Amino acid sequence: MSAARPFTQVDVFTPVALRGNPVAVVHAADGLSDAQMQDFARWTNLSETTFLLAPTDAAADYRVRIFTPGGELPFAGHPTLGSCHAWLERGGVPKRSGEVVQQCGVGLVRIRRDGERAAFEAPPLRSEPADPALLERVLAALGVPAAKLQRAQWLDNGPKWLALLLDSADTVLAIEPDHAVLKGLAKVGVVGAHPAGSEAAFELRAFAAPIGVPEDPVTGSLNASVAHWLMGLGLAPTAYVAAQGTRLGRAGRVYLQREGDSLWVGGHSVSCVRGDVVF
Amino acid sequence: MRHAFTQVDVFSATPLRGNPLAVVHDAEGLSDAQMHDFGRWTNLSETAFLLPPTDPAADYRVRIFSPGGELRFAGHPTLGSCHAWLARGGVPKRAGEVVQQCGVGLVRLRVADGRPAFAAPAMQTSAVDERLLADVLAALGVDHSKLLRAQWLDNGLKWLALQLDSAATVLALAPDHAAMKGLVETGVVGLHPSGSECDVEVRAFIACVDVPEDPVTGSLNASLAQWLIGAGVLPERYVAAQGTRLGRAGRVHIAREGDTVWVGGDSVRVIEGEVAL
Repeated sequence: MSAARPFTQVDVFTPVALRGNPVAVVHAADGLSDAQMQDFARWTNLSETTFLLAPTDAAADYRVRIFTPGGELPFAGHPTLGSCHAWLERGGVPKRSGEVVQQCGVGLVRIRRDGERAAFEAPPLRSEPADPALLERVLAALGVPAAKLQRAQWLDNGPKWLALLLDSADTVLAIEPDHAVLKGLAKVGVVGAHPAGSEAAFELRAFAAPIGVPEDPVTGSLNASVAHWLMGLGLAPTAYVAAQGTRLGRAGRVYLQREGDSLWVGGHSVSCVRGDVVF
Repeated sequence: MRHAFTQVDVFSATPLRGNPLAVVHDAEGLSDAQMHDFGRWTNLSETAFLLPPTDPAADYRVRIFSPGGELRFAGHPTLGSCHAWLARGGVPKRAGEVVQQCGVGLVRLRVADGRPAFAAPAMQTSAVDERLLADVLAALGVDHSKLLRAQWLDNGLKWLALQLDSAATVLALAPDHAAMKGLVETGVVGLHPSGSECDVEVRAFIACVDVPEDPVTGSLNASLAQWLIGAGVLPERYVAAQGTRLGRAGRVHIAREGDTVWVGGDSVRVIEGEVAL
């Protein structure tokens, strides 16, 4: 058993506790072994647990390692925003004001602070066409008639999603998927526009039965890919707010903004649990 | 509002080797919806909320939530709540005993050597349909010749219980969880060789509720003890190991005294702090 380390459990993509996506953050994690990190990430049972370390790259403010219960990830969206929030709240002082540089498995990730929110720069997107036969089976598993499908595309920015643009946010919210069937098909992200003038421009849902998660509450990577895709097609403005998690009782809000060649993915974070961890 | 918070590991004295439980202390003032929301948000099998008792015979009251809803009683949350309550300075009305008020009424916990134990609830048994048994054995990938006995055990939670020929057979199981998903909650048990640290090895397969294997299971161990002590297979005091194949080292301490089977385990605090809800 090692010494006590500071611990924070942060809710991400929401200003209101319990309405976003949680991440567990262990501070001052230098000295923990890979096995200890993996064991703790399995024990928290959260989609991600992060470990803050002293940076080994002089340009970085901190280094983070991100674990799921099943293994380590080179990068992930909501753990990045939650780790940055926890690091700042515990007194971390960035080298440059207004920006935090995170060192992680993919290298250095810039995080911009924007008032109470923070945003990371989305990784590049690769896309490819969706196979019509697969699409037909996915629509059947979602219970969505083909007439309500406007576009479909594979989107891959690390995590790979079959993305479907449906005719409205109402259609997205009404979906009652057959998760057992989706489990054998693909991770599916659906998006639909809210009526003009609504609080959020789009409604998203992320069905990930193939990795054991029927529906993910709020998904940074999917939102980043969908924004790249829809902005590229001229179907979304260069800055908008997306809602996710509504059907799970969450109220995730993701802030997307394109500037030049960069896409920024942002949101609020709120610390729910603060204390110490010993293991 | 801020509340003291503990996340304990139950059925283990070593952190991260048991079954975790989130405990919110001094939870009065939280609504049912807040408790359920937090129980969902922790993503743990159970989250407990400690309250002042409304029954004068009780030391504390607890409400237990799974992500799906409130439970009237559950084993590892009872041991973990008792541990967290004592660790934060709770003083029981009677020395050596803690009385917990929860959905099923008052539950007595014995606290010997700092290790709480609860009295196993009454259990009913029934015979197992041969066809279901064949399907379960096939999904577990175990030959019928290695099965010593099978029984339905029901103490509120219902388990298809199988005693296999050895702990080694139990540990070697590599079930087809997709096939198990369409079947039933299945608990398997096998004896370790005499002189081993633990008397039996237990595994709990619950793919039907979307968890392939539960790390350490109080209710199953309670029923297995009543079944196998009653059958003369196990002594009145023994230690069960569970979670080995998941990298856990759960230890369930069983003791029958008179008509009561006590189910005990160590707990250890891993996260200590406060929660803002």
